[in-house]
Amino acid sequence: MSIEMMKTRTILLILVMGLCLPGAAQNSRSQPATSAIAVQATGKAASGSNLDIRLPLEQHSVRFAVIGDSGTGDREQNEVAQGMEAYRQATGFDFVIMLGDNIYGSHAPQDFVQKFEQPYKPLLDAGVKFYASLGNHDDPYTETLYKPFNMGGERYYAFRKGDVAFFALDSNYMDPKQLDWLDQNLKSSQGAWKICFFHHPLFNEGRHHGPDLDLRNRLVPLFERYKVNAVYSGHEHVYERMKPENNIYYFVLGNSGKLMTHDLRDSKDRIKGFDTDRGFMLVEITNSKLYFQVISRTGETIDSGELPKQW
Amino acid sequence: MRAAGTSRSRQLWLVAVFSFLLVAGAFSQASDDAALAKDFQDRVNHYVELHKETGVGSKTSDSPDKVAQEKHDAREKIQGARASAKQGEIFTPRIGSYFKRQIAATMQGPEGAKIRTSLRHAEPLPHLQLKVNAPYPQKVPLQSTPPTLLMNLPHLPGKLQYRIVGSTLVLYDVASGLVVDFLPHALPPA
Repeated sequence: MSIEMMKTRTILLILVMGLCLPGAAQNSRSQPATSAIAVQATGKAASGSNLDIRLPLEQHSVRFAVIGDSGTGDREQNEVAQGMEAYRQATGFDFVIMLGDNIYGSHAPQDFVQKFEQPYKPLLDAGVKFYASLGNHDDPYTETLYKPFNMGGERYYAFRKGDVAFFALDSNYMDPKQLDWLDQNLKSSQGAWKICFFHHPLFNEGRHHGPDLDLRNRLVPLFERYKVNAVYSGHEHVYERMKPENNIYYFVLGNSGKLMTHDLRDSKDRIKGFDTDRGFMLVEITNSKLYFQVISRTGETIDSGELPKQW
Repeated sequence: MRAAGTSRSRQLWLVAVFSFLLVAGAFSQASDDAALAKDFQDRVNHYVELHKETGVGSKTSDSPDKVAQEKHDAREKIQGARASAKQGEIFTPRIGSYFKRQIAATMQGPEGAKIRTSLRHAEPLPHLQLKVNAPYPQKVPLQSTPPTLLMNLPHLPGKLQYRIVGSTLVLYDVASGLVVDFLPHALPPA
């Protein structure tokens, strides 16, 4: 890339951020984004910048965003969504996985508009696909049939992006049929990477909920037997990156709409936690590594890193 | 010497009779349980027939209005068809006892403590006034059902699920959002 091209790209991204980041268009916001924005879309963090991209943006990589417990329809959900759009334009992710509680409260048609279609309109308009999993606040019937959630009428399903196989599970109702399905599908999967996502975390250190031990008992043996690489859950309204358990990476992201402030207890099992604002995660998967970046509602990078492919 | 031998044979005979009664009792309980499980399945299958009659399907749609309308229509038809439904029609007293035995055995088993912890962590629900053939309150979350519990309960067809509200086991129709039946005090106290 020439210097001129990089300059142009930087200017464009500054404009995008100005339009998209929460606070830029809403002067009344309590925590406005800083106006001094410089962007390096080359993968390295730009010091003193807001739109700080820590993904390598390699060719042929799989890039996606992660949101959990998002569907409030509140201002904060909209602000997170605006940040996502800014980063989409910068990183080119083309799908989002949803960790449940996609629509809180009433599930009338207007709720789907207010709590999903409106906040993520720029992403939907840009062709970004959303893949939902069900949380305890979701309506399993209406949401599985709602096309933009891409569940195909099923409570649990699998899909593939490049070399990455994704398994969306219904942790509300992990019946023997679903466990058999997961066993068969993990066993037969040809994906070089295997990612599972569902609502209830197996490992977490939040005060409000904590881990689901019975679910952990049933799922972890399958994850380990079939070499799952990473697991994403929501439910606890915080962000947590746990220490890998038997080489599997466990993330909790339940703060894309809801927030449980100061919910995290001290734990030696957690590498990074964040419980003072909402956020979303970006993930990029290459042949050998999983890169991630967690961005708060105000545009701050909360956590980032690269994780090697374990198997 | 002879008296001692007679006493030993009597003891052996008593042990044999006691063992026979135990085994026979276990067989009889198993046979009763199988019959109760079948009775339950028949009642559930009868309910699921309503889904076919109401045409509730699995067509995806871009429009939440269409999905909501389909659910609304299914609900009205099922409510009409079961207008006189009462609690205990599916969880009859005998079937209810069978479920309570199954649940108690699971909760007292090696996974019992984990199941209780899972229930506590899931998002325990406030007290709900449940009514058969009435919608489950839309704004109230559905508590997750521990997988080990599900492994020890009869399989449910179609879009029916077991859900837990406090200590009550609810038979929930996902497609219509209706409470099909419920069994109070299904979970033993901790």
